[in-house]
Amino acid sequence: MTRRPSQSPGGAQGPRPQPARLLLPESPRPVAALVVCGPQASLGSHGSDDSSPDNDIRNLWTRATLSQPELNVPRSKICDDSDAEGSSLGSKTRQWYSRKAGRESDGGWEEWEDGEDKDGFRREGLHEHLSLEMELLEGAGGAFQLRAGLGFLGHLSLLLPLQLPLPLMEVMENEALEILTKALWSYRSGIGRDHFLTKQLQRYIEGLKRRRSKRLHLVTY
Amino acid sequence: MKLKQGSFLWYLYLDKLYCLLSVRNVKALLEYFHLLDVHHNNTLNDVLFYHFLRHVTSWKRTQIMIVFNMLDWNAMGEIGFDQFYMLVCILLAQQNHLEEQFIFRHSRPVFELLDLDGELRIGADHFHMYNFLFNIKKQELRELYHDFDITGDRRLNYKEFKLFTIFTMDKYQEKQKAEKEQGKTAPLKKKRPHRFILSSKLF
Repeated sequence: MTRRPSQSPGGAQGPRPQPARLLLPESPRPVAALVVCGPQASLGSHGSDDSSPDNDIRNLWTRATLSQPELNVPRSKICDDSDAEGSSLGSKTRQWYSRKAGRESDGGWEEWEDGEDKDGFRREGLHEHLSLEMELLEGAGGAFQLRAGLGFLGHLSLLLPLQLPLPLMEVMENEALEILTKALWSYRSGIGRDHFLTKQLQRYIEGLKRRRSKRLHLVTY
Repeated sequence: MKLKQGSFLWYLYLDKLYCLLSVRNVKALLEYFHLLDVHHNNTLNDVLFYHFLRHVTSWKRTQIMIVFNMLDWNAMGEIGFDQFYMLVCILLAQQNHLEEQFIFRHSRPVFELLDLDGELRIGADHFHMYNFLFNIKKQELRELYHDFDITGDRRLNYKEFKLFTIFTMDKYQEKQKAEKEQGKTAPLKKKRPHRFILSSKLF
């Protein structure tokens, strides 16, 4: 896990000229090019495998009504649980996520799409959200470069639901847990149990498990 | 290579024409990437990357580390989201047998990925090393260098590579057309027994 020079078979040392990525060329830091496809001019099938309707991710998307506000524990909470030292994105990210979760608990984006303006807080909340997002875009870099990429869509980007459907989140989290648990074993054998990276990973896994069990508990009852 | 059935990537799909993900899929992929980014660096180190690919693909350790070294073009020992996105597109193209289309649509990024030394030329050994990514068989590789090495230096520059992608794309489209025509004739043969059954019921 230490930084090391490139080990290309040709024996080239150091960084190579960066390949043209699937990106917007004018971005200072490359952002994945985004193709806004409609209701998916896509394959629908997975190679030679037979795809049943249940296996199509679009079905996971259409089960978005299963997302319930109480179940959406923001990722910032996991960061709080797992890493007391804080993330590289800082407290602003957590504030942004908390505010987003707070708004969603009142009903989410759909009400704004309906054009209802229930109270001044919502209007103010939207402005706040946008201005905070702009701060994050300017300051944080990294993960929010993609939001900058989404920003090229202009106001249309607000129509994209920012919260993923619950079934999809479950699939992602379960898989991430499996992968990270195996990675933890490698960390322990490679750098030892007491290394701060191992401990950070362990705390993160525990936070993810807590979030998952909380969600399962709420779904059951 | 087959993606593990039921894994998150297995549910994603490429746009058939441009061989890229939709905005919604990218959003989901970004969330997934952040779930794996345990150290909050917006990157995956080699251990996390290895376990991720080990989980979702059937690749061996050597293949995974070859891919890691290929994508780690900054030589930082970590993979950012851009590289991750490209990898996912390559995996999905392979999963859905769209390698020819993918290489055609993204010939420049693919060429630069294969150009390990930055010499703007790809040797046969580089191609061979990555043939598990793009499913290029040995025979095809031989033909590639025989037919498209116009300069005769036993390496392909970008223009020669581009010609190759156009050629394979044409072949792929002809194959698709032929399969489509075969598909059209097959249902006509199936219909006759059905008509026979109907007519026998009537009389």
